[in-house]
Amino acid sequence: MIRSRWIRPPGRIVNVVARSIGNAFRNWIRTTAVVAVLAVAIGLALAMLVSNQAVESKVGELNASVGTVLTVNPAGGQGFDGGGEPLTSATAKTAAAVPEVTSVVATKQLRLSPASSSSTGQAAVPGGPGGFGGQGTSVSTSLQPAVAAGTLGNRNNSGGQTSQYGGTAQTRTFQLPITATGTGAEVDSSGKALNITSGTGLGDYTAKSTKALLGTTLAQKNNLTVGSTFTIDGTTYVVAGLFDAGTEFGNNAVYLTLPQAQAVAGTPDEVSSLVVTVNSMENVDATRTALQTALGSGKADVTQGTRGLETAVSSLKSVQNISLIAFIASLATAGLVILFIMILLVRERRREIGVLKAIGAPNRTIGLQFVLESLVLVVMGSVVGAMIAAFASNGIAAALVSSNTSSASTGRAGGPGGGFPGGGPGGGGFLGGAGALLSSVNASVSPGVLGLGLAAVFAVAVLGSLVPALLTARIRPIEVLRGE
Amino acid sequence: MIEVKDLVRQFTSGDRTIKPVNGVSFTLEAGSFASIVGKSGSGKSTLLSLLGALDKPSGGDVLVDGVSLASLSDAGRTAYRRKDIGFVFQQFNLVPNLSALENVMLPMEFAGVSRAARKARAQALLERVQLDAEKHGRKANRLSGGEQQRVAIARALANEPKLILADEPTGNLDEQTGEHIIALLSSLAREQGTTVLVVTHDRGLARMTERRFRLQQGRLEEEARTRS
Repeated sequence: MIRSRWIRPPGRIVNVVARSIGNAFRNWIRTTAVVAVLAVAIGLALAMLVSNQAVESKVGELNASVGTVLTVNPAGGQGFDGGGEPLTSATAKTAAAVPEVTSVVATKQLRLSPASSSSTGQAAVPGGPGGFGGQGTSVSTSLQPAVAAGTLGNRNNSGGQTSQYGGTAQTRTFQLPITATGTGAEVDSSGKALNITSGTGLGDYTAKSTKALLGTTLAQKNNLTVGSTFTIDGTTYVVAGLFDAGTEFGNNAVYLTLPQAQAVAGTPDEVSSLVVTVNSMENVDATRTALQTALGSGKADVTQGTRGLETAVSSLKSVQNISLIAFIASLATAGLVILFIMILLVRERRREIGVLKAIGAPNRTIGLQFVLESLVLVVMGSVVGAMIAAFASNGIAAALVSSNTSSASTGRAGGPGGGFPGGGPGGGGFLGGAGALLSSVNASVSPGVLGLGLAAVFAVAVLGSLVPALLTARIRPIEVLRGE
Repeated sequence: MIEVKDLVRQFTSGDRTIKPVNGVSFTLEAGSFASIVGKSGSGKSTLLSLLGALDKPSGGDVLVDGVSLASLSDAGRTAYRRKDIGFVFQQFNLVPNLSALENVMLPMEFAGVSRAARKARAQALLERVQLDAEKHGRKANRLSGGEQQRVAIARALANEPKLILADEPTGNLDEQTGEHIIALLSSLAREQGTTVLVVTHDRGLARMTERRFRLQQGRLEEEARTRS
């Protein structure tokens, strides 16, 4: 009856765990080596997951910034540059008729040249790369630009700025033009509402008006406030309000009503671009295709946001794919390390397993012991790996982003078209901003991502140790007597 | 009671068949203290592995208290080894990174004994095989051969088995400790009704058992019987 007195409900798991921990430290040198290899694989896996999540978040952010807005430009048109046939009011009507489209805002772009330029002998309108072949129209203004041309602007425009008069070289100082946009609603060329900081809007944007909105820095440069006047092509305009676009180049701009801008340009029916809003994010891709079909691919280019942003998103998505593949590869490496080390351990401890079976250990207990033993190694590898990931994630993400976006950024400055590229010739263009967007990918190890990564690592570790654990079941207890 | 009926174990190697156990039959009453002697390679260990359900016979059967080992599943054989059998191996076969105490506690853990009870019983058993208390916590691979053998014997006794199968249990012990171990095994048989079967080369040890068998060319014959 002694037996019944001391048999109690089993607390076997605790014992198996304790034995597994002890076994994991049997051979310090091997354990250290295995943990080091696991730490590198797990650290890399976590770093890749963190990078992946950071890039995914950034892609979402970029997509959200583009939102549900599509931009329509003349096919072949590149802002003030390029060629192609202009868009018209009829194009806008066709776009508005496409299903899922909720609004269409037409814009007309003008390039305003400071009147003082003529007086200094400079060409009436300084031609940037591409010259006057584009859809922008240049007219004179009493305004002075708020942004200096700087080294880049002067370098980019030097070709047309020096001439010989009677053998005397005359060097002219280049001035950046001011961008003027005629808009059919109180939005900018990317569809975002204008941020009017003082004064009012232009009221009815579909009627001619001599009221204008000025960027804050442009107004400051020209000592203008709400109610002040200035001229465009000889016509006096009243400053109805000031807006803040958030950037220096964005504020070196003027907004007019669409019909007024068309009248100034002398092209009453033409528009430079259309800002098309779709009813939901889910319908953007389908609507883009439908819009392109409706307008004709040879007549209009339909883009989501700006092309530069698409390029940026595309680059980030390739980074996302690379980091996902690297995450999976690192996980698989960790799993293989576990698989091989546990197979090695099972082979090494064949006799011991036989002894355990000979004295009555069930297969599941022995199998569990080996799985837990592998998890002990993985826990140690994960702790070190998480530290590696914490230190390396940002660097790895930055390296991935820079290596995958440098080609997109190189040689594109000056900008993709469709709307105002942010400064015209020498102005830096969109990709200055895109580069900033890409470089601002911030990879930090959040608890959620860390938990997700570790869960994946442990799942792979369990899978990796299952095969060796099952191998233990095949060892027969008679092994213990072999060699005796 | 252990009944062995026409037990056969054969191995085939190419076109050659070997029968280390060939038609062995005998009966051991509960509380018997018996020995099997034989030359090396005579099949003693093979017979022991069949009795301990470590191996499956090619023919015949072993009945333990009327239960046929041949009828048991793998899990049933594991349970039989856990509850009813105590092994003492020639090479001790302790788990090297566990202490002497933990090694003795191990079979009780598999049997679901509580930790406190395991520890108390393991300590008592180690004292019974005369292992110094200071060595209870020492890792098995840091004990001498004789100490390891005593731990192995204590482990075999852990779950109060019906049958103890000992392969050269005193082979690594000095004469005095060996005699103590034999006295211990004998008392287990006499006082607790545990059946003890010892396989040995040692004629002196064999003479201390109540029944002596000789295994020769796979066949078993009883040499002496001092208790009916």
